Amino acid sequence: MEALSTIAFVLIVMAAMMILIFRDWRITAAALAVQYLGAFVLVTLSWPLGMAIVKLIVGWMATAAVALSWQASTARLEMPTDLTKSDSTGSLFFRGGAGLLIVLLNFVLTPSLQARVFPQVDLVIIQGGVMIMGMALMQLGINSDPYLVIISLLSFLLGFEVIHAALEMATLLTGLFVVVNLGLALVGAYFISKLGEGEGLHDS
Amino acid sequence: MTPSTPLIWVVLPVVVAAVCLLFQKRPVVSLLLAAVSAFGLALLAAVFPEDLTLSIGPITLLFEESLFVLGRQITLAYDIFPFIAFIFAMTGLWVLTSNISGVPSTFRPISLVITAFLTAALSVQPFLYAALLILSAVLVSIPMLNTAEKESYQGIFRYLSFMTIAMPFILIAGWILTGVDILPPESPLVGQTVVLLGLGFALWLAVFPFHSWVTMISEHNHPIVVSFLLFILPTTILVFGLNFIDRYAFIRTSEEIFNVVRVIGAVMIVFGGIWTAVQDHLKRAFGFSTLVETGFSLLALGLSAEGGLNWMLMLFPARALGYWLWGYTLARFESHSGSLEINAIKGFGRKFPLLSSGLILAQLSVAGLPLLASFPIKIALLTQTFSIGPGLGLWSFIGSFGLFLFSIRLLIYLTMPLDSSFDDDTETMNARITLERRSEYLPVVLMVLVLLLIGLFPDTFLSGMTGILTVFSQLN
Repeated sequence: MEALSTIAFVLIVMAAMMILIFRDWRITAAALAVQYLGAFVLVTLSWPLGMAIVKLIVGWMATAAVALSWQASTARLEMPTDLTKSDSTGSLFFRGGAGLLIVLLNFVLTPSLQARVFPQVDLVIIQGGVMIMGMALMQLGINSDPYLVIISLLSFLLGFEVIHAALEMATLLTGLFVVVNLGLALVGAYFISKLGEGEGLHDS
Repeated sequence: MTPSTPLIWVVLPVVVAAVCLLFQKRPVVSLLLAAVSAFGLALLAAVFPEDLTLSIGPITLLFEESLFVLGRQITLAYDIFPFIAFIFAMTGLWVLTSNISGVPSTFRPISLVITAFLTAALSVQPFLYAALLILSAVLVSIPMLNTAEKESYQGIFRYLSFMTIAMPFILIAGWILTGVDILPPESPLVGQTVVLLGLGFALWLAVFPFHSWVTMISEHNHPIVVSFLLFILPTTILVFGLNFIDRYAFIRTSEEIFNVVRVIGAVMIVFGGIWTAVQDHLKRAFGFSTLVETGFSLLALGLSAEGGLNWMLMLFPARALGYWLWGYTLARFESHSGSLEINAIKGFGRKFPLLSSGLILAQLSVAGLPLLASFPIKIALLTQTFSIGPGLGLWSFIGSFGLFLFSIRLLIYLTMPLDSSFDDDTETMNARITLERRSEYLPVVLMVLVLLLIGLFPDTFLSGMTGILTVFSQLN
């Protein structure tokens, strides 16, 4: 189980880094799906499989809703698959550096977070959750593209859900998280479809 | 299935909203349906018997106050009914004006769903799950906002992001406090939970520096929609926040926490007031003045030992009616002028004297002008703040003067000479007044009368709200 959770954590780090660095919507969507898979494995450490799989299915549904609406928009408007007009090597390095900073901070801060706030939660769960939340916040801070903002918000929620799953298990809470995740994905799809009709689809 | 109160005030509005959506192409039907439902639910909440038994002719229905959902309860107790009646009545009021051009057709169903979700948020057990219901209400509110302009959607993203980020803070704080009632002041949990709750509520209430979305959304969206949103969300969140003060003795008895809340409230009043005074856009000024109002609520909360909670609750109806009138008159102005830049409405007071008076009086009512609705509460609040800390009181007074200054500036612009196309010598004042249609100014006149009545008899109209405190056993 320990090996599996370590693999899940590595998957999460790689997926979160890819979401932060790359701007091709297909890579971002695939990385988000992988991130949900990694989070699912971490949630199974605290929840029974039957409950944990809800998060995976809902996450993949949300990913599909956002990604497909983006695909429909780009196809309709004949736009390139990259989310930004120009993406220099410098900005790639900047985002990569920012991501590495989050990874570093995660390893520095999470042990004390575990000791002070969540002593009964596995370190790998806290690290996984904080990693996803940190990367999502970084992403939110450095761009305002609708697709990436929604992906970041979904990621932020996912990171929190990973940690919160280790603290509490309630059916109503799971249901409310499902509503919020799917609601967020629908809002994202709504935004993308609306923006496709007007200006401002791309952000440099 | 046994009838229960959550079925009426949570499930039924959502069903009505779904039916309204079906009638989206028929605005009159949709408006009537939504308005009648909202006012009907408000009336029902106001007159519902305490024993929850409703007799209609030979039929007697015994309602339960709890609805079980996925193993948890949504409990709408009798004590919270005055607040439920209030928010549904206000929703109905806003829905009534949703036929003004520019208001999205989705506003009617969405406003009902938001009110239903926020009602559920106030009644769900454990109460911390409310954080997710509030976020759901935020998500539902997005389609009624303007997503067509880049400047607007950036504000919406910020709103969405802040509201989403706030939720974990509240849930984690609640988890830390599970099973805890009394904590020694030196416990590390005190610091942790206060920081988490502080951040969560600061994000929710758009406390400085998390306020930027308020003015961005305010500037680029319809005034009716914005005024509704900026009324219903903070109001419900503040009432939800009373749960924490009620349940946790270490918060209730901590003087430091209330001092900090008072200072944050005063900062909001000063910051919002100064920015309101210098605005050149009427909708942005509205956005900033809502920050001042949040400041007043926090100031009242910080004075809870001196009866501040009563003032906080009594401010809600006065503020709601003021916001409604403000949003309504702004919407009418916008439809006449096309722009709400202060320069674009020069001389509007001569063309539309009643609408202009309504706008000025709405602002002055919210600002707390004597004889108008907010005055009795605000003067009591400021007086009490002065007696506790003259510095804090002085700054709060200066900040609250910002909206007065803006109103004076606006009045100067409104009464400037009309441009040549309207400043016709042969045109009499009567003819000018007829530029305003009765259907436009009648709601303004009625609402001004209501604001005056509330200002003259505050206890009669506002004290009913303080009954809500009976829900919170430690606070009444």
